[in-house]
Amino acid sequence: MAYKRGTKAIPYLILGFVAAPFLIMYVGFFLRAFGEKMVLGIIPAQWGIYNFRFLWQPITWGLEQTTMWTAFGNTMFFATLSGFIVTVICMLAGYALSRVEFRGRSFFLILQLVLHAVPGQILLIAVFFLLLYIGLLHRIPGVALARAALEIPLGVWMAKGFFDGIPWDVERAAMVDGCTRLQVWYKIFLPLVKPGIAAVFIWGFLFAWHDFIYVYTLLPGTIKVMATLIQSLLATEVIDYGYLAALSLIYSIPPLSLFIFLQRALLKVPIFGGKGT
Amino acid sequence: MKVFLDRLSKYFGQVKAVDNLTLAIEDGEFVALLGPSGCGKTTTLLTIAGFYKPTAGFVLFDDKVVNELPPRERNIGMVFQSYALYPHMSVLDNITFPLRLKKVSRKERETKAKALASLLRIEDILERKPAEISGGQQQRVALARALIKEPGLLLLDEPLSNLDAKLRVTMRAEIKRLQKDLGITTILVTHDQVEAMTMADRIAVLETGKLQQVGPPEELYNSPANLFVAGFIGTPPMNFLAATLEKREGKFFITTERFCLPLPDSVTMKICQIPTPHDVIVGIRPENISIGQGEIRGEIYVVEPLGRDTLVSLHIGTEIIKVIAPPTFRASPGEQVQLTFSEEKVHLFDKETGKSLLV
Repeated sequence: MAYKRGTKAIPYLILGFVAAPFLIMYVGFFLRAFGEKMVLGIIPAQWGIYNFRFLWQPITWGLEQTTMWTAFGNTMFFATLSGFIVTVICMLAGYALSRVEFRGRSFFLILQLVLHAVPGQILLIAVFFLLLYIGLLHRIPGVALARAALEIPLGVWMAKGFFDGIPWDVERAAMVDGCTRLQVWYKIFLPLVKPGIAAVFIWGFLFAWHDFIYVYTLLPGTIKVMATLIQSLLATEVIDYGYLAALSLIYSIPPLSLFIFLQRALLKVPIFGGKGT
Repeated sequence: MKVFLDRLSKYFGQVKAVDNLTLAIEDGEFVALLGPSGCGKTTTLLTIAGFYKPTAGFVLFDDKVVNELPPRERNIGMVFQSYALYPHMSVLDNITFPLRLKKVSRKERETKAKALASLLRIEDILERKPAEISGGQQQRVALARALIKEPGLLLLDEPLSNLDAKLRVTMRAEIKRLQKDLGITTILVTHDQVEAMTMADRIAVLETGKLQQVGPPEELYNSPANLFVAGFIGTPPMNFLAATLEKREGKFFITTERFCLPLPDSVTMKICQIPTPHDVIVGIRPENISIGQGEIRGEIYVVEPLGRDTLVSLHIGTEIIKVIAPPTFRASPGEQVQLTFSEEKVHLFDKETGKSLLV
C-alpha cells in the first residue's frame, strides 16, 4: 500500500517541480501588480490599484506620451485583422486541399510545412521592402497582412484537418441537392467546422497579439501596440516594476478571455451525417 | 428518365473499378446493382451521379450524354448509406434545402415538404435536428430530401444497411411502394441479395467491375448465367458438387464418386452439343433436395430448425451440402439418410469457365 501511494505521488512531484518556476513567476507577477510598497522586493506591504493608474492617466516615457487605451486599441485592431485574414485564407485553402484533387496538391501541403519551419525574423527585411513598395509600411493593416502570412501555413493544415472530418457523403448530398462548390463551402461546411474557425482565428489572433519583432520593426515609434509600449517603458532609466506588471496583466486579459470564451466551441465536436458515420 | 450506360469504365490508377459496363434502364424502372464489397457498384452509382468522370464510355440520360454535367444539373435525388443529413439544420430545413437552392418560395417549399412528410410519416419531427431522431426517421428524412425536387432519377446507396433487421423489412416494402406510386426511375446499390430480390424489377450482378448478369429476380434465381451469380443469389446458397458429364446409350448422366444421376430431357436438350465426358460443377438449391428416399446417400452433420422449415447440413463423401427440410424433420448427427435431387432443377456449370451450360 505504502509502495503504491509512493509511486502515485512521483508524477505529481515531477510535475510540481517542473511547474514551480512558472507558478512562482505568476504569483510574483500578481503580487507586483496589486501590491504597493514592496518589502524585500517581493512581499507587498499594502494592497491597492495604484499600479493601474495608466487606466485613467496618460503614459509617458522620455519626451513622448500616449494612453494605454490607444495602444490597447491598436493591438486589438492589429490582432483581430491578422486573425481574420488567417481565418478567411485558411478556411478556403483548407477546404480546397481537403476536397479538391489538383496537380501539385501534396507538394503544396509539404511546402506549407517547410515554410512554417522558416523563422519569421529572417524575412523581416524582405517584408519591410515589400510593404514599402505596396505602400502599406508603417500601417497596421500592412503589418497585419505580413503577420498573418506567417501563420497561414500551419493554419491551413489545421483547417484541412477540420474539413477532413466531414464525411464525403455530406458533401455529395449537398452537390446533388444543387450546391456549387462555393455553396457547399459556406452553406454546409462552414457551419459544421465552427470549432475549426474558432481554432484558426485564435491561432492567428494570438500570434499577432503577442508579436513583438514585426510591430517593432514595421510600425513607426508613434504607433504603439501593447508589446512595443511595454518595451518602451523597460527602456527608461527608472523601471517601475509594479506599473509594468499591471500593464502586462491587462495585456494578457484578451487572449485569456478569448480562449475561455471560445473553449466550448473548440471542444464541441459536431455529430456528422447521422448514425453509422 | 431513361438511363443508359454505354461501355462505361472507371479506373483508379491500375484498378479497374468498373470495366466496360453496358446497361439500359427504362423509364420508371427499379434496378438494383448487386455485388460483394469492392465489386464497383458504388463507383458505378457515383459515376451516374456525376461525382466521378468515366475513364471511358458514356452515361446517357434520356438519350443525352451527361458525362460532363455536374451533379447539381443532373436532376437526380440521392439517399446515402449514412443518410448524410446536414447536422446543423432542422429536419424541415434539410428537406427543403434543395428547393431553397432553387429559390422556390417559402410557402411552396413548406407545402411540398409537409406533403412529403405526411407521405413518409415524419410530420411530427420537422422541427428537430438530425441528431435527435432515430435511424429509421433519419432515413425517411433523407428520402424526403431526395424526392422533394421531383428528380428524374433516384439513386439509393445501400439505404437500408444501417437499419435494424426488423425496420429494414418494413422500409424495404415502403420504398418499393413509394417507387411504384411515384413512378420514378430508381437505381439501388446493395450487397444484400434479399434486398435486391425483393425490391428491384431487375437486378444487375457485378463482380470485380464486370457485369455478370442482368435480369428480373426470378431469372437470376432460376437460370443463373455463371457460378458467381448462382452462389451469390439465394439463401442458403446453392450447393455445388464437382462431377463429370457423361453420355451413355444416348442419355446424359452426371457422375461423381458417390452417385450417378440421369438428366431429364428438359436439361439434355440444352447440352446435347457438349462433348463428353466433360468436367462440370453441379449446382442444386437446398430446397430442390428431399430427404427420405433415393439413390444418393448422405450423413447428417447438423440440423438447424428455423421454425418455418429446417436447415439440414449433410456430408456426401467429403463435401457438405445444405438441404431445406420440412419443419417436422428430426435426425441426429451421424445418421445415414437417403436423398433425391429434383433433376429438372439441377444447374450445370463448366468447370473451367464457370459459365452455365444451360443458358
